[in-house]
Amino acid sequence: MTRRTLRTFTAATALCLSAALVACSPGTTEEEPAAPAGDGTIDPAEFEGKTLEYVYFTDGPDEEATRELIADFEEETGATVELSIVPFDGLEQTLQSRISGGNSPDVARVANWRPYEDVLIDMTGYFGEDYPDQFIEGIAAGALGADGGMLAVPSDQTMNGPLVNVEAFEKAGVELPTAEDPWDWESMIADLEKVQQANDMEFAFAIDKSGHRISTVLNQFGTGFFNADGEVALDDAKAAEALGLLDELMQSGAASKDFWLEQGSRYAGANEIFLAEEVPLYLSGNWQVGLFAEAAEFEWAAVPNPCGENCGGFPGGKYMVAFEDGPEPELAAYFVEWMNRTENQEKLDQLASWLPTRNDLVESGIEYPNRGEDMSVFLADVAETPEDAYATAAHPGFDEAATVLIEEFDKTVAGQQDVGTTVSSLHATLDELAAR
Amino acid sequence: MARRRRGSAPRLAPYLFVLPNMLVFGLFTIWPAINGFNISLYDSSNGRTFEYVGTENYERILSDPAYWETARNTVVYTIAFVVLVTAASLALAILLNAQQRGKGALRAAYFVPVVISPVVVGLIWSWVLTRQNGVVNELLRGVGLPAPGWLLDPALAMIVIILVGVWVNLGFFTMILLAGLQSIDPNLYEAAKLDGATVWKQVRQITLPLLRPTTMVVVILAAINGFQAFDYIWTLTGGGPVGATTLMVQYIYENAFQSPIQYGLASAAGVIFFVVVFGVTMLNYLVGRRREAM
Repeated sequence: MTRRTLRTFTAATALCLSAALVACSPGTTEEEPAAPAGDGTIDPAEFEGKTLEYVYFTDGPDEEATRELIADFEEETGATVELSIVPFDGLEQTLQSRISGGNSPDVARVANWRPYEDVLIDMTGYFGEDYPDQFIEGIAAGALGADGGMLAVPSDQTMNGPLVNVEAFEKAGVELPTAEDPWDWESMIADLEKVQQANDMEFAFAIDKSGHRISTVLNQFGTGFFNADGEVALDDAKAAEALGLLDELMQSGAASKDFWLEQGSRYAGANEIFLAEEVPLYLSGNWQVGLFAEAAEFEWAAVPNPCGENCGGFPGGKYMVAFEDGPEPELAAYFVEWMNRTENQEKLDQLASWLPTRNDLVESGIEYPNRGEDMSVFLADVAETPEDAYATAAHPGFDEAATVLIEEFDKTVAGQQDVGTTVSSLHATLDELAAR
Repeated sequence: MARRRRGSAPRLAPYLFVLPNMLVFGLFTIWPAINGFNISLYDSSNGRTFEYVGTENYERILSDPAYWETARNTVVYTIAFVVLVTAASLALAILLNAQQRGKGALRAAYFVPVVISPVVVGLIWSWVLTRQNGVVNELLRGVGLPAPGWLLDPALAMIVIILVGVWVNLGFFTMILLAGLQSIDPNLYEAAKLDGATVWKQVRQITLPLLRPTTMVVVILAAINGFQAFDYIWTLTGGGPVGATTLMVQYIYENAFQSPIQYGLASAAGVIFFVVVFGVTMLNYLVGRRREAM
């Protein structure tokens, strides 16, 4: 073979390969609507000897509780559940890679189910059209697909709210707020500064670097991203007031500006600042209860959210989803339903310090074996949280809007733009998301 | 012995020897790269469904101010990194080469950062440079100096990531240059000494010219390394403050793997990046070869 022939052959091969590839779509070009995979009947006796894979991310103490419940399921059905733990940061990437590679798991625990919408099992196909009615209305609405099918089952809800260092408050002689006599933002900051000074603490206030947490403050100032109809609900003046307050706290040193800016574009929890007793109050959520019960070396408690125009916090939550392309779709659907039955969800909530998503459990209440009073505070704030907050949390564009909020607010904290510009940028993003 | 005719069968042998490597390279590098270009012409948020959008992803990227800010950051970082790491590793290699005792131990010491995980590097330096309780600022406060926000001020944060990048890679490039130095004939230095040349003159007239091919390799590798910087920066600054240390690989990573996933957009950014890096590398290479030939 001459050099010229070899070159020609190589070039021609590369060209043909490129042309063939470019002409080909890398996947399917049309979104296929998810169809109910089941025929409405499931016989658990058929599951004996079968194996199911559950892709799971853990917030801490919930893993052990989940394993305990899985053991009950295995005993009852004779099936085996393999729990695959993945880090939250890589969850979506892991699932998408597996699904597109034809290696879908059966079930997953996710914070956002919409990226997998086209491959999820509609639970109403198996458990009836009224299955969503078993769950809190606002949360269930956020689990419905475009055609009304229930593509995800809300397995636990989260509620944002403040946690306080009780010992620091006692030393300062400052009373803690109650559900009957909650703080407003002004009185809260005044009290926190007193406690900070009395205890010689570094900061007065700490908040996670998270768009979800800032949404709590927006809600209390009477605004949010979207309303129940999916329309933009942001009141620019109220948003500017809320963000202006947070910025002022950071500029004055009452909250850690360093913590906020040193994280870059990453999410960051401020729990280490709280655990190091550098701050009397930490605005986070109920998922910290299990962690603090083990890690805090001082007396702490959850207290009601401060009230502005609205009371309450901001909801979030996790979902269990069953994949129609998984090896055992029927078993997957049954497992998701089983895990969220009244008695099973109650057990999991008790062991993992989670808040329930089922109407019957919210009505009856849950007796938590550990830190029950703190969990009751969060549960009480669920009732105080307005419907629009649930609508915002459930909107498909929430994650993207929250990312933009953080990016733009960073510029305000860094002194690169005023609060008004931040709010205008956020509003423009919300308009774009609502129009999609 | 009869001469082989040009273009006869034995010329195929070299290609057969490299074939296994080329197959692996083709399968895991060339094929994904071509496929990446293909994906850049589509919109996909899940890797399963693709909508053909033509050049829309490219248009979106090129009209995105964040992209241009990231491109500027990448250029600033790469130029500063290449200049500093080349100069520092050259100086260090010359010093180590002249060292009579403890040469091995010193080489090992400078090489240690190369083998540390980039994630650990990022975490270590973030603890060292944190404004409130970082080691550096504690020392500065101890001697009555102001404690700057190393990771809070955009300009300082850029300087920090450049210096940390140099610290991480210094050992690697020093080893390459040291190997080059040791291939220079010692008789040349002896002759220069006899002619009364100073140490500086020896470096300028013998070391640098003879080390040019190795230096060119270092410059090319450092430029590629600079363009690809990501992991330790991600753990050190997260691209902050306010995007001041977000480089191109992070931009691509965030679009590809963080919600909302945009594979097409990320692929388009990857294609543009590939063209730029390839162009710069080829330019470096050609300039180096021309100088060598002169």
